[in-house]
Parts: sequence; structure tokens; C-alpha cells
Amino acid sequence: MSQRKNDDWMGTPLPRKEDRRLLTGKGKYVSDIVIPGALHAVFVRSEYAHAKILSIDTSEAEELAGIERIYTGDQIKHLIKSMPQPIVQPALPAHYPTFWPLAVDKVTFHGEPVALVVARDKYVAEDAAELVFVDYEELEPVLDPEEALKPESAIIHEKDGTNEIFSMTFTGGDTEASQAENAAEVEKIFQNAPIVVKDRFKTHRTGVTPMEPRAILCDWDDSDGLLAYITTQRPHIDRLALSDILDISAEKVQVIAPRDQGGGFGVKAPFYRENIIIAHAARDLKQPVRWVESRYESLMNVGQERDQINDMEIAADLEGNMLALRNFGLADNGVGTTGVYWGFVMPFLGAIELPNGYKWPKADIRLKVATTNKACLTPSRAFGHFPTRFAIERCIDMVAHKIGMEPSTFRRRNLVADLPYTSITNEYFDSGDFLKVWDTLMEKANLPDFRVQQKNALSEGKYIGIGFGCGVELSGVASELFVPMENQPGYGAATVRLDPRGKVQVFGGDAPGGQGHETTTAQVVASEFGISPEDVIITTGNTGSTPFGSGSVGARMGSYFISAVAEACRELKTKIAKFLAHDLQLEASVEHFEFKNGEVVYLGDDSQRSSFMSIVERIIMFPINMPEGETGGLDATTFFEAAKPMICFNADCCVVEVSLETGDFKILKWITAEDVGNVINPLIVNGQMHGAIVQGISNTVFEEFVYDEKGQQLTADFEHYKMANAADVPNIDLNYATTPCPHTPLGTRGIGEGRPSSVPGALTNAVCDALKPFGIEITTLPLRPDAIWQKIQDATQ
Amino acid sequence: MQAVKSRMLRPAHIIDLQALSELKFVTSEKGLLTVGAMTRYVDIVSSDSIPLELIALKDAASRVGDRQVRNRGTIGGSLCWNYSAACTPVTVLALDGAMNLISPDGSTRQVAADDFFLGPLETARNEFEILLSVDFKLRGSKSGSAYKKWGLVTDALPVIGIAACLHFDNTDCCDYARITLTGLSGAQRCLEAEASLLSTTANTEEIAEAMMIVCSKIPTYTDSMATADYRYQLIKTIGLEVIEIAKKRAFGLG
Amino acid sequence: MAKVAIDINGRLFQEEVPERMLLVDFIRERAHLTGTHIGCTYEGVCGACTVHLDGEAVKSCMLLAAQADEHKITTVEGLAPDGELTPLQEAFKSEHGLQCGFCTAGILMNMTDFLKRYPNPSEQEIRKGLIGNLCRCTGYVHIINAVRKVVQENQLRKT
Repeated sequence: MSQRKNDDWMGTPLPRKEDRRLLTGKGKYVSDIVIPGALHAVFVRSEYAHAKILSIDTSEAEELAGIERIYTGDQIKHLIKSMPQPIVQPALPAHYPTFWPLAVDKVTFHGEPVALVVARDKYVAEDAAELVFVDYEELEPVLDPEEALKPESAIIHEKDGTNEIFSMTFTGGDTEASQAENAAEVEKIFQNAPIVVKDRFKTHRTGVTPMEPRAILCDWDDSDGLLAYITTQRPHIDRLALSDILDISAEKVQVIAPRDQGGGFGVKAPFYRENIIIAHAARDLKQPVRWVESRYESLMNVGQERDQINDMEIAADLEGNMLALRNFGLADNGVGTTGVYWGFVMPFLGAIELPNGYKWPKADIRLKVATTNKACLTPSRAFGHFPTRFAIERCIDMVAHKIGMEPSTFRRRNLVADLPYTSITNEYFDSGDFLKVWDTLMEKANLPDFRVQQKNALSEGKYIGIGFGCGVELSGVASELFVPMENQPGYGAATVRLDPRGKVQVFGGDAPGGQGHETTTAQVVASEFGISPEDVIITTGNTGSTPFGSGSVGARMGSYFISAVAEACRELKTKIAKFLAHDLQLEASVEHFEFKNGEVVYLGDDSQRSSFMSIVERIIMFPINMPEGETGGLDATTFFEAAKPMICFNADCCVVEVSLETGDFKILKWITAEDVGNVINPLIVNGQMHGAIVQGISNTVFEEFVYDEKGQQLTADFEHYKMANAADVPNIDLNYATTPCPHTPLGTRGIGEGRPSSVPGALTNAVCDALKPFGIEITTLPLRPDAIWQKIQDATQ
Repeated sequence: MQAVKSRMLRPAHIIDLQALSELKFVTSEKGLLTVGAMTRYVDIVSSDSIPLELIALKDAASRVGDRQVRNRGTIGGSLCWNYSAACTPVTVLALDGAMNLISPDGSTRQVAADDFFLGPLETARNEFEILLSVDFKLRGSKSGSAYKKWGLVTDALPVIGIAACLHFDNTDCCDYARITLTGLSGAQRCLEAEASLLSTTANTEEIAEAMMIVCSKIPTYTDSMATADYRYQLIKTIGLEVIEIAKKRAFGLG
Repeated sequence: MAKVAIDINGRLFQEEVPERMLLVDFIRERAHLTGTHIGCTYEGVCGACTVHLDGEAVKSCMLLAAQADEHKITTVEGLAPDGELTPLQEAFKSEHGLQCGFCTAGILMNMTDFLKRYPNPSEQEIRKGLIGNLCRCTGYVHIINAVRKVVQENQLRKT
């Protein structure tokens, strides 16, 4: 009996199907799409962080030739429903501020949309935007989250009566009584623990802004309704939101996220107010309307995350066992007026993920989220848990130092060893072997050897250090978390459609931005059916043709979507096998056939076979002489929900050299160990890891969104918001220590989303390790030479 | 161009000088290096005509922006714009360049660097003058120069940039020193520091002392790129490095 | 308004344009070549708009269309006009040197010029050569690998 092999394409580093068009300039991003007659929109945005709008004078602007319309908040507030709307509102208890797509009565952050100019020429639209004169009465801006929560603070959203948009306790059960009891127990542990470390960990405002800014192109037809091309990770949600808010019956709204998007990283996952007003303008003017965001607008409005204070304490014993964890988190939410996430959902998830992969016997974890006059937090890769990961990975090192133990040994001792496991915040870790990953890392890191090198270096007056970090990351988001968190389902959905020529079309409702889904999907389908990836075409992100998908978020591809694809393929294979068995008069079902090399072969007698194409054609085109109870056609739509929420795990080690003179540091080595489950395309997985780690480094060191004391944004261009360039970052030594996921049909895991989170801890730990002779502990980001140098000065004075 | 696109500048007309190939040259003769105003950074970096003693010009030109910028940006453009944190003005000031300007009536005048750079975005060029070229007098042997900067990312605009030009006499004593600084408020001379190096051999201690003098005379500030104290530290460390390189080069060692 | 005649990828585009029209807008809107992208506003830092002006890599968002009058522009569409990918494009494909592709055209144009001028660069020189192109997706690692692959292939061809 021949070996059944249907994994020809699994694990293959297949060059991507996407590449040819992207390499030859034939990609079609939203801003490349042309609808003849499209008008151009430019936003007038607030110059102040907090101010009343006294009046808006558009008369001079309207006089320019080619101006079609200028919208203001006062005009449209009677025409467009305000937010919040249920479709983009989490099922979490919070204050959801009322807002329209253009500011009404007042502005609440520097850069908030105030008016919209729509013109025939995009340069003229810019000219006109300058001529819109807004009369403001400045109000005192609220810029500090701790100040914002004080009773004497001005309230930003007056209707809500508070600047505390959200707060929650994540441990000790659901009632106040049980939480108080838990807090008391935790306090007792801290009272008695031999080792306690307490510190304040601050992460700055930064995020993963993609290279392609946002854009939307809307077309309106009185019969067909609204067609919107949007740079979005979640077209199906955008469609429902536009339908609800603009009162357009859902069947008349189509949203298309083009197959080419210039990165998302979470920044294109919220439902943005600009989409609402552009769609409204198209309907109002009965002309296509186009808005392409400038980088200036982008840096002022989106991509800002991670802004958080964590007051953290860890209790441990002298043998190196973690006893308890206590954390009070305070997130600076900005104004909170962005749909789906409202800013606070990120720190919410960050608090859930705070315990990381360690066994905490007890914990008291709380979070408050404060509204301030800054741009609303928007998701960034390592959604919500970059700050908490930094805090815990740093605090763990500080505890290890106090015990007198190697931080890596301290970690290993306390890593969860037996999965499945439910964390102290009720996060479910479905599968994986954390110790195998850790040991793989440690072997590569060769710590004993490094300690010798470090000693030698020190004798030469050189300061090198090694730092570790790790992260349990989401592999997709199960409905049981997704529904309360974002009022959306977590299932993956795929339609697999065979055609009479044996080619395959796949339809998926999520909308990737560079992760190579076309190729990965084609490899899986090709493996399942024994055909070539060239024979497989995927359509993504078009609400008119794809099943519902909550979006390309949370590492849903390798976890949920590809699983739905595999199951849909297997459903069709079952049907194909049934037909073939019937036609060949065999008592056989799908496990008796092999799909390989474009053929379907009976394993009991390989003379009994058919070409894949002819049996497929037979089922679709010639549905006569049928097996019992069967119909023609080969089309399957599958919804995949995993049995339990799933995770993946990774660990980082980095080696740095620090200059005492300047506080500058150089990353000498970056080594990783990854459990990514079964790998479909190693090229793509490697690329995901590199990108995530460099984003983590860039966020940790270079990037910072800065507001001055009046709430003015000082980082609205790339001259001021500094992103790492190629000369700033190291090569990365990736290593894999995988455990197939038992809950997905292919054993794959969703990867890449949370990956940046272990980077800030690992890097800062390395710098602190290098400066150990001075007893320096860094607890504030960004990790900058001037701050490091100052710490050295303070320690040596 | 950044200023035009951001609408900070709103010129009624823009005249592109790229067709004036006669302004694009690097010539060295009779103890004088002359660089045409329209000479691009990439041309300066690849020029064989720049003598070793003026190599600071290459230090600066090779790290402005990125290679796309260097294919396009010119020495004249940078000098006339005189941005507060730019590599070329501070280097030309250290090298005591002399700007050759022409008026609409054809008359020309020369303005020494010390008189040309007036303050950030301000030069002595009159509204209707065009910069033709920059002259650099060669001092001959035992002259050396260097430029270095620090920014948050590689080759970023200088938070602190320092240029130095030194000459040593036949007793190996420094008899000429120009030390310039940029990043705080445009290209400026560090006169007291220069004076402190004269008649010394410019050893490490003497250089360190000179940079301490610079710090005592110049106010710094804190922003998100660096604290005020750190800027002083940068002045000290970059200053030491630059002057030592200039000295090494003066003695044919660097 | 100004009359300009710009050769893009061997085709002459004669258009009347507002004097202030940026070259990148001319390329995208008048020549309908959308492979060249806009990734920043006025700062000219991201490099996604990089093209060749008379064979040298420049940022087209920092030039007026009028400045390219009577000059030759090459865009990413002009690298492989007959459909056969250049060795650099092939290397990007085999080394997975692109993900979302938004920065890619600019990198290809920059590196094509770079390798012509410096056929045997070190890794550090390649990294410095890429300072004018920001990439968010790849972390630059595979991009460097792709460029090095072409350098190695060229060196092999020489021996």
C-alpha cells in the first residue's frame, strides 16, 4: 500500500504568488484605484487639543473654483447617526462617548476632523482647507492620565461625567466581595514573602504605523447603493457599520478591501469616522469621493498605542518560586472616540495577558483607563500587551537580581510546564511545550559562555549584556473572547469552490496587508487536492463575494481561516471520493483514496483512478447516474471554531554592548526560539518574525509620539517620529521548536500578531545586564541613550 | 522642498538651476579648492579633487540624509537654506569657506563664512543674489579636518554636529583651529575653545578642556531627542572624536 | 500652468500641468503609473516614491514635474518592460524581500541604481544604502538577503 502523502506543499518555502505584481508596480492599493469623476476630499482638522468651536467660516474656501461642498459637524449631525453604534461597540461595561465624524461643539484632540472639503482637484481641495476659518475658544487640555482621574480635573466628554472610560479587576472572580478577598490574600503573601520587588513601569506612546496611510474611495448609485474601497482589515464589519450609521439597507452596501494593502498591523482594524463622512458625501453629491490620508494626518490620528503606567509588584521566595503578582495598570486612552476598540480594549486585553507564560499561584490585577485630549489609542501589533509584557519581563529580571539567580533560570523554573493551562486571569493556553522552546533558546544563547565573555570584556572596560524575554501570544481569537471584547465572532470562514477545469477559487472575508495569504492558502488547498498552488486563486476582503470574517486581526490566518479552508477542502474531498467510488463501483470512502499529482487514486488498487479534473468536471457538469442522495456541484463553505482558545509561544535573547560615555548601545545578537505550530511556508513565517522583532525594537528605542504641554502633537512627520532604518537594526537568528496544535486540522498556529511584545523586555534586560556593575534598573521606555547615560551618571556620582 | 510642500514657504516663482552645468564643478588649483554651488553631495563624495585637508567636506556630504537625497541635494542649496541642524553649513564654517555671490547686474562679491551664516535660516545673501561657488584656501601640510554628528537614527539630522579644522606648525603645535557646532541654533563658532587649543599639541586632555569650555559658553535644551545634559555630553564626546581625527589627518595618520 | 515633456520608461508624456504639480503626482495621475507610491507628506523621508531621474535614484515626491521636463524618468514599471524580471526582482521573490509591497518599488529603484554604482558592497554598505527607504513589514533582513544574492551572483559571474 503506497504511503499517503498529501503534504507536498506544507513546509515548502514557495515564493509568493503576490510578488510578481508587486515587484513590477502592478499592485492595486486603494489609492491606485480610479473611478472617473471622483472628487477629492481633504479634512480640516483641529489645531487645538481641547477647545470649543464657536463658529466655522467656509465662505472664502467655497469661492475657489471647483469646490463641490464643504461639510461641518453642525450640518451633518442631523443627517448622520452619532456613535456609539452597537455594531462597533464591545460588550464591555464602559463609557462610550457620543461623537459624529466631524467635531460637534468642541474639539478634543489636536488633529480631530472638524470640516470636510470636497473638490474636483486635490490641490485645490488643500487650498480650500486652508481657507476654512474655525473660531475656537481654547479650553484647558487634560494630558496626564493620573491628573485626568482626579476629581478636580476638567471632564472631556461631559455627558459621561468622568474621564475614567473603563476599569476592571481581572482576578479574584466576578463580585466585589470575592475580589476584595483575593486582594487580601495577595496582600498577605506580599507581607510574608522573603523577596518583593515593586516598581513603576512606564511605556510611551508608540505603535506600528504602516507604510500605506489610510484611504477610502466611495461610489454611490441610487439603485445599487454604496460601494466603498477601504484600507481596512475588517471589511465585513465596516460594511455593517456603514449600513447602520448611514441608514443604508445592508444589501446595498458593499465594502472592498483590495487584495493589495500596504500593511495593517491593527492600525487598519478600527472603524474610523472618516469612512462615515466620505460615504455620506458620495451619497449626498451622487459622485464618487476619494480620500487619501497624508502621513501628517496618519501620525496625528492613528497608530498611537502602548501609552501605559504599570505599578507592578512581584513576590517570590529564595528558591526562585514566583508567589504572587500584583499590578495596577493605568492606560492613557486619548479621547476614546474610535469605533470597535474605543482605545480601552487594548489595555483590557493587555491586562488579561499580563501574567504571560508563568505559573502564578495568586494575582491581583487591575486596570483603569483614562480619557485625555490626545488621539484615541488604536491597535498595534502586540495588541494591548506591549506595556504589560515590558513591565513583567523587566520586573522578573529585577526579582532574579534580588534573589541572586540568573533571570533565565528564574524564568524557566516558573514557566508553565503542563498544558493545557488556564492562567490566573482565565486566559486558556491550549497547547505547546514552553520548556522545549525555552531550552532551544538557551542552547543557542550559551549563557555560561557569554558570562565568561562578559567578564573578559569588563576587564577591558567594555560593557556587554544579555537579556531574555518570552511571550504567550494569541493564535486567533475564540468567539468566547471575541464576542464580549468586540461584539464579533471569532470563527474562520472560507468558501472553497471547484470549477469544471479542476481549478479552485477560495473566498475569505478577512483582509490581509502583506502576510502572503494568497500563497499560504494556495499551498494548503494544493496539498489537500494534490494539485498545484498555481491552480488556486483566492479572493479576499470583498463583502459582495466572501463569507463573513471578523478581519485580519489577532493572528486569525494560521489558526482559524486556514483551518476553515482545510475543512472545506476535506468536505469536498469526501464528496469527490463518494462519487469516484460510486462510478468505479468500489466500496470505499475518502480515507481509501489519495489525492496527489492531479489525480485521485484508489489505494487498494491504483489502477482504479481518475484525473482530478475529470472527476470534478463530472460532478459539476454531468450530474447524472448519481450516488444515493447526492446532488451535483462542488462548493463548500465552512465555519471553523476551535474547541478552545489557542496560543503560540516564543522566546527572545539579545546581546548588547553599551557605551558608558554616550549611553549608546549596539545590538550584537538577536536569537529567538519559536513555537509556531506546523509551518506552511517557512519563508513567510520567517518574514513575519523578522518584521515583528524589528517593529518591537523600533518602538522600544526610536519611536515616540510626543505632545507638548498644550497638547500639540510634535511628531506628525517622519523627521520627528523616527522609525528604524536598515542601518539601525540587527540580523536575527530564528530558531524553531514547534509543537503541532492539536486543535486545528493542519496543526498550524496563528502567528505574528503578538510577536513584538517580548522585545522591549529582552532588550532592556540586556542593557541592564551590561550595566549590572552599576546596579542600574531601567523601568521607563523609550530606551534612549540620553536616559541610559543619565542613569550611569546618577549611579557613578 | 520640505518648506515649500508644507506651505511654510510660498514662493511666487521657483527657478530650477539644475540646467546651469557651469555651477557644477569641483576644482583644485593654486592652493584653492572651489566647489560650484550646484555640486551635488554625491559629486563631492566621489570627487578626486578634494584634498585631504578638506576631507571634512566628504565626512559631511557622505552622510546627509540618504543616497537619494545625495543624488539631488547641492552644497549651495544647503548653505543658502542654512537649516538649524544641517551638516554642510557647519563644515563649511569650520573650513573657512568663502561664498561667491553674483547679482543680477553681473557684479560679484565674496563673503566669508563667518559673515555669511547669520542664524538659522538666515544668511548674508541678498534677495536677488545667487550663490555661484565656495572657495576654500588650502593651508598645506599639517592641516586636517573632520566632521561628525549624532542623531537618534543612523545619519539623521544632527542633534549635535561638530566640525573641526586644525593646522599644526613645525613644532607640532596647533597654530590654527576652527571648531564649529550645529544642532542647537545653526552653525556657530566655538571661539574660546579654539583659542584654548592654540599653542598646544591638542592632546586628549587639552581637547577635553576645550570642549568643556564650549559647554560652559553655550546653552542647550531638553526635547524628546535628548536632554540638555546629554547634549553637553555629546558636545564633549563628539568634539573629542572629531578633533582627534582632524589631528590624526593633519599628521597623515588618519 | 506649464507645458512639460517627460520621458517615462521610454514613453514621452506631453502634458500641461500646474507648476506646483509634484513629479510623483505626474507619474501616478498623468502617466497612470501607480507603482510609485506616496508614504509621507512633505518630509521626503520614507522613500516609497523613489524613481530614476536620468538613471539616478531620487525621491519623486521632492521634485516638481516641471523639474523633470526634458529628462528621463524610470519607474518600477520600467525595470522589466518585457515581463522578464531583473535579477534583483527575482532575488526579492526568492528571498521573500517584500510583504505588503508598498515600499518595494522605491527599494528596487534605489538598489538598482546602488548596485550599478557599487557592484560589490558589504552588508553594512547595503544597510546604509537603504537608509532612504523605510520598510515596516520585513525588518529589512530579507531585503538585505535579496540584494546580497544579486551581489553574489554578479561576483560568481565574474569568476
